[in-house]
Amino acid sequence: MKKKVLSVLLACTMVISLAACGSSAAPAADAAPAADEAASTEEAAPAADTASTEEAAPASELTDGKFAETRHITVEVYDRGNDGGSDPTNNMYTEYIKKGMLEQHNVEVEFVAVPRWTEVEEINNLLAGGTAPDVCVTYSYPTVLSYANMGGVIDLKDYVEQYKADTPNLWGWLGDTNMLWDKDPNTGSLWAIEGKRAEQQRINTFVRQDWLDALGLKAPTTTQEFEDMLVAFKDNADKLLGKDAAKMVPFSVSYDVGWRASNIITSFMDPKISDKEYYVNGFDDRMLTEPQTKEAVKLLNKWYNAGLMWKDFALYGSGDTTEDDMIKAGYVGAFQHNWDYVFRNGEDSINANLKRNVGEDAKFVAIDPFENADGKHAKWLYSPAGDRKIFFPTTNDEVLASFLYLDFISSPETIKYLQAGDEGVTHNVLDSGAIQIIAAEGDAIQNSGKNIDYTITCNGTYFGDQALAALSIAYGYAEADPELVSQSDKISMTDGMEPKNVNVGEIASEAEIGDSLSAKRDQIYDKAVTASEADFDSVWDEGIADYLSAGGQAIIDERTEKWEATFSGDMLP
Amino acid sequence: MARDKVVVKPPKHKIDRAYIKRYWQLYALLLIPMIYFFVFKYIPMQYVLIAFKKYSIVQKVWEMPWAKNHGMEYFIKAFSNRDFMNSLRNTIVLNLLDLVIGFPIPIIFALILNELRFKRFKKSVQTIAYMPHFLSWVIIYGLALQLFTPTDGLINMAITAFGGDPIPFLNDGKHWVGTYIGLGIWQSFGWNSIIYLAAIAGISPELYEAASVDGAGRFQKMWYVTLPGIKPTIVVLLIMALGNVIGSNFDRPFALQNNLVMEYAEVISTYVYKVGIKGLQFSLTTAVGLFQSVVNVFFLLGANWLSRRMGERGIW
Repeated sequence: MKKKVLSVLLACTMVISLAACGSSAAPAADAAPAADEAASTEEAAPAADTASTEEAAPASELTDGKFAETRHITVEVYDRGNDGGSDPTNNMYTEYIKKGMLEQHNVEVEFVAVPRWTEVEEINNLLAGGTAPDVCVTYSYPTVLSYANMGGVIDLKDYVEQYKADTPNLWGWLGDTNMLWDKDPNTGSLWAIEGKRAEQQRINTFVRQDWLDALGLKAPTTTQEFEDMLVAFKDNADKLLGKDAAKMVPFSVSYDVGWRASNIITSFMDPKISDKEYYVNGFDDRMLTEPQTKEAVKLLNKWYNAGLMWKDFALYGSGDTTEDDMIKAGYVGAFQHNWDYVFRNGEDSINANLKRNVGEDAKFVAIDPFENADGKHAKWLYSPAGDRKIFFPTTNDEVLASFLYLDFISSPETIKYLQAGDEGVTHNVLDSGAIQIIAAEGDAIQNSGKNIDYTITCNGTYFGDQALAALSIAYGYAEADPELVSQSDKISMTDGMEPKNVNVGEIASEAEIGDSLSAKRDQIYDKAVTASEADFDSVWDEGIADYLSAGGQAIIDERTEKWEATFSGDMLP
Repeated sequence: MARDKVVVKPPKHKIDRAYIKRYWQLYALLLIPMIYFFVFKYIPMQYVLIAFKKYSIVQKVWEMPWAKNHGMEYFIKAFSNRDFMNSLRNTIVLNLLDLVIGFPIPIIFALILNELRFKRFKKSVQTIAYMPHFLSWVIIYGLALQLFTPTDGLINMAITAFGGDPIPFLNDGKHWVGTYIGLGIWQSFGWNSIIYLAAIAGISPELYEAASVDGAGRFQKMWYVTLPGIKPTIVVLLIMALGNVIGSNFDRPFALQNNLVMEYAEVISTYVYKVGIKGLQFSLTTAVGLFQSVVNVFFLLGANWLSRRMGERGIW
């Protein structure tokens, strides 16, 4: 009898544990907030209180910009996991920030590392656990919006005005445009502050100059010439790669085709595209739903089936280095990527690796072959307004200190130091006055180009001075040939089109599905490129239909509706 | 007052005491898992409510407002979503294939291993077979890429060297299913056979001796002695496996899937991760998780009932 009771008891626990296991995916993620909810609501309350008292007596907390008592804030910083990089939370630059903040404002700064390639998930977990950093940064506005709708983000609309006098550098650098970019035209809420891009260059096409030379080819200037060049690479694989001929990849892309073939796709787009059309299809910058994109992908599909592209590209996910390794080993003839991609990371840059692995004249150079219907080499640039989104979660009870932090990192001196470091250690000053970045070691290594992970309000070369930045851009990459950088810079701006960002209020349909739609977009691109030529049309059409029904159409409709409610024509005034 | 009656009954009381005195250590030990289950399995269960509520990151569960459609909004949303239905189908198909193909293999392996007479060889085969169990799926996918990719994979390089066409092990949906099942079996059959080997070790040698006396050959002994001897173990494990038919582990499909095969590779656990956790739709996620658990419990009960009907013991 007892035995039976015992076994029933055991059996019950087992069954119920099985049941609990099944649903553990959700509760595991949700269990955490409960414990911290109390804390966060408590903390939110006093923050609101200080706000209201402060309105009566502004800036009473600060004397000479300093708090009477030391405050403590935590700040998100990306961890890129670079080989041989410095510790993102503790290096020469974090020390500079910590010291400066303590001296100027009596605020202690602690950095929280968040993996760069999974930032959204990681911040989700931290927010749900109530342990998110006081100053958070992300590239995805829909994510901020989702948190805001759940009540997880502080509305900054009053704070920005209230602390304006305390944050002259922040307002000076970002201006009204970026500070108030995300202000909802209907409700007035401001969930995030937009960082600013100091550089607008986006994507370039690179090609192996030494391969062109070996085959006696000129740099291609049209799409057809580019294709002929790829064929020539393939046909001469034995000559170019010898025993590694089988590893030849004339043109390489990654799973993110919308990015890695962007200039080809752009060249197919209607040059007279209206602002409205661009906005309506502009949920992300991969142009999947633009009508002419299909033709561009069809071209890629043709190349793929002709053996001109890397067969296995879709099997490797985000953050995988297989493709980079192939490029560095010298198997790849051409590819598209960020305009400075081959120069990044000093000694570990693509061109430096090629020089070591292949030979003295092996190098990638920028070319500009893809012309659109108007014969222009059009490509999209970054808009200076709107870059990374900075937001404060409701667990942040040091709003003023956080603003002072943003002010500190937006001051010209701080930006200059974070980007250029110490003279003789990370940069030299040339006769012309230009700053030349040199290879750094140990703590002085910048894990991201121009330390953009610390200068979250500023993306790109600035050095605290526009003229100096323009003068120095060619010297911004240790180990890189300034002429090549300068050429790449010029090409990337040629016929550049500046996207016109607009703010017509919250697009509710983007909030929850943004991330899964982006994954779907990549799947559609990948499947279409790798389909057989006969299947291409059906694969593409089915993919687009699936994308639209999974939420893409809802976004397009809502964007159209909000556009029409805000503007009268198809073009921005 | 039935309770008083029990208390006044002297003999019974006495037995209880002696019983407790004798076995209290066992009960004390049982307390540890009980506390574990209470803290980590029962307390979190209140969050099942999230499935019926509109989730908010800053509110307590009971403060959150109820979802639309009498709280069923997220269930309706899940079941009208093509991607969810697709992942449900994939989960069932992949798990059934795993069950049909993967379940018998450790049994067969255990039987064969049991017949090996050379001890050293037997031990090393066993060790080699269960080694892969200790590899994480991420590493296994790394190995799979080295072996199976269309151009650079070792196997496909060999095939093309002999003039064949590369087999799309990883980049074609149907082939991928085969790779998924195959890798799953490779990873786990050795480990899963351990429990059968233990059960075989528990069979009385007298039975084999008696069978020998009756003139049974090796194969007959295997069929009439070993297999019936491990039948209860097989049944229990089968019930457990059936109870998990729409459950799914996360790391195996997540590590193995890629953009080209998502139609076949997206299962509920990865769907929940991508749409729910990454997309911040916690209510939807919980609804899907709850649905999964309920179906699993029904499968478990059904399988148990069936096994008892067929004269086996079941798990309770």
